[in-house]
Amino acid sequence: MVDIGSGLIAIGAGVAVGLAGLGSGMAEATIGAAGVGAIAEDPKMFGKSITMVVIPETIVIFGLVMAILLWIKM
Amino acid sequence: MLLPDRMTKILIVGSKTRIKETIDILYSLEVLQPIDFSSEEEGFTLGSPLPVASQASQRLLKLRSAEKELEVVGKKLSDKILLSKIEEDVDDVLLTLEAEITGAVESKSGIQNRMHELETMKLALEPFTALDVSIDLYKGYESLTVLTGNVREDPSSALSAALHRYEAFVSPNGKFVAVFVMKDEAAEAQRVLLQSGFAEVPAPTGKGDPQAAMKAIEGEMEALASSLTEAIEKISVLREKHEAFILASEEHLSIVVEKAEFPLRIGSTAHSFLIDAWVPQKSLSQVQQALQTQLGDEIHVEVLEEAPRKEHIHPEEAGAGVSEAHVVETPPTKASVKRPVNMFSYLTELISTPKYGEVDPTIVIAIIFPLFFGLMVGDVGYGVPFILLGFLGLRKCHSDEWRTISTMLFFGGIWATTFGLFLFGEAFGMHFGPVWIVEPGQTLAQLKAQYPFGTELSWSSMTGMQLPTLGVLSKLHDVKMLLYISLWIGLVHLFLGFSIGVYNETIRHGFKHAFFHKVGWMMILVGGAFLLLFIIDLLNLNKPVGLDDFRALTGLGLIIPGVLISLKGEGPQAILELPTLLSNVISYTRLAAIGMSKAGMALAFNMLAIEMIAPVGGVAIIAAILVFMVGHLMIFILAVVAAGIHGIRLHYVEQFQKFFVGGGLKFNPLKVVRKYTTER
Repeated sequence: MVDIGSGLIAIGAGVAVGLAGLGSGMAEATIGAAGVGAIAEDPKMFGKSITMVVIPETIVIFGLVMAILLWIKM
Repeated sequence: MLLPDRMTKILIVGSKTRIKETIDILYSLEVLQPIDFSSEEEGFTLGSPLPVASQASQRLLKLRSAEKELEVVGKKLSDKILLSKIEEDVDDVLLTLEAEITGAVESKSGIQNRMHELETMKLALEPFTALDVSIDLYKGYESLTVLTGNVREDPSSALSAALHRYEAFVSPNGKFVAVFVMKDEAAEAQRVLLQSGFAEVPAPTGKGDPQAAMKAIEGEMEALASSLTEAIEKISVLREKHEAFILASEEHLSIVVEKAEFPLRIGSTAHSFLIDAWVPQKSLSQVQQALQTQLGDEIHVEVLEEAPRKEHIHPEEAGAGVSEAHVVETPPTKASVKRPVNMFSYLTELISTPKYGEVDPTIVIAIIFPLFFGLMVGDVGYGVPFILLGFLGLRKCHSDEWRTISTMLFFGGIWATTFGLFLFGEAFGMHFGPVWIVEPGQTLAQLKAQYPFGTELSWSSMTGMQLPTLGVLSKLHDVKMLLYISLWIGLVHLFLGFSIGVYNETIRHGFKHAFFHKVGWMMILVGGAFLLLFIIDLLNLNKPVGLDDFRALTGLGLIIPGVLISLKGEGPQAILELPTLLSNVISYTRLAAIGMSKAGMALAFNMLAIEMIAPVGGVAIIAAILVFMVGHLMIFILAVVAAGIHGIRLHYVEQFQKFFVGGGLKFNPLKVVRKYTTER
């Protein structure tokens, strides 16, 4: 049987990665839409757009790292 | 090797009588990029096209119209066509084409037009076939009004109640009516009909029985359809016959026109021409020699200057002799990287063409990207298919995008296999050798005696054989270690980025500039690395460490001057950039995280298939194999996307920002590409 402390850690880990993912998603949605617009006008913008789109992705990596560190503590 | 090829600006001056030969030589050399003439220079005007241009353009126009009418599309031809043959035959062929095509195309479009007309007539006649009234009876009355159209419901009873002198014909389904009514009652008739939802349909022209007329139209359409097939057949025969020649001569004539119009890009006087151009330094003698041997004294080539790598020459640095013009013109970038490094140059081009005075980052991508990819995949089971798929792609694909993806898969796959064998020792998410997980209250020796093939799922436990334990780390059990390693990879990768940055800035703006813009950041990064060592001890190992620790002191000793230098170089925004650097480093933990997530998914599918479904036996074994295959296929595809995008992103976002400026002009020399034609 898992004790309550471990359960709370697991919830914390889930919240960390989930909210971070949500945040990244919201940020990327806007940037992605603008990026597609830019690419439609000039296909050369693809490289720059993809760079812009993936910038917020770091946030979810932070969340994931936090989750992993919490998980190791379990 | 690292910087783009050196460029030299040359000036070619010659007599107008030899301009055609000069252009031919320059095109055949394929190393010269002309600088478009700006008509500002005194005494010179823009050149005019060679006489051959207008004739070739006319022919080209005819050819292209024939091409369009015959619907010729570019495709691979079995044989190339000789230029001499094209020159000889093109006029005759154009004449024949004109005669044959005009006939065929005109008869085709004539048939199509008539069919369209018939279609319209048929549509108009269609409703009237339901009534037994001759078509010519609908028109030509003085005292009668004829109302024809669709209705929602049969209006017969309403009509008989409201009108006195009329006759109505209603179609068997009650949806179409023709009412013949005296003019004085026409308004009343219309009102009644409108209540039944009347929508007028004009009566058709013609005469006789509508059904017979319909039959006649259908008969004509059938006849036309067959002659249309004939006409299309005829055109396709023509296409078959002339396709190769049309494609070849279009290509040849386009080249002729391009060459003939080349003088529009250069300067000329009444009797001479002059071409300003960039030539890679190593091809300079080739250009001089070719022009001298073929044209002798009639042409003069002068080397103007070697393009400087340095930008924004300050007045005091420039000194005498360097005019404004030298600073303004940007030399083109000709990448100096060779195969296999240049197979990755598409990835650099996606961001931007490197400037003339900066390191081509393709070499960094070519070496490190496959390593990152391999580290994130790190599995023999996926690595080997990646190699095969990449190899196949490189053999079969021709477009830049697919070739680049294939290159990524091929080299990435090699590293994935290497890391899969020697670092992680696993295939399809399972280790080769037995794995024991020691729970509290147990010892490893006990477990080894009790479970010779390990307590966890592995290739050993599945096959019941003692396989060697390859690899030193486990993606799921050594998470801390992997995260730590990935931070160090990040530090080294960023250090490399800053080092190239220092080199680039030194070349383009001098060391002083580089020192204030890049060296400061480098010091902060190295200081951060020392602090990382210190913090890991402090937080994780709970070792007693004080602030007098050597690592902490070195770290701070580097960071503080680093920040001050950057402050002087970039102003207060350097402070704002500090957290960015930290997040850049942490961003590299994705190297471990992505590998881990894939290992986690693989574990789930393996347990599902091997430990839960397969033991049921019978049909379940097939189901287990299916689950295993579909699951791993999914992970495999995700691996391409995740490892590929994240691997390249670590370069684009984290590393390139430390040194890459881009915005260079790609070297685009004069040359002709012949797909359908050959000179010999």
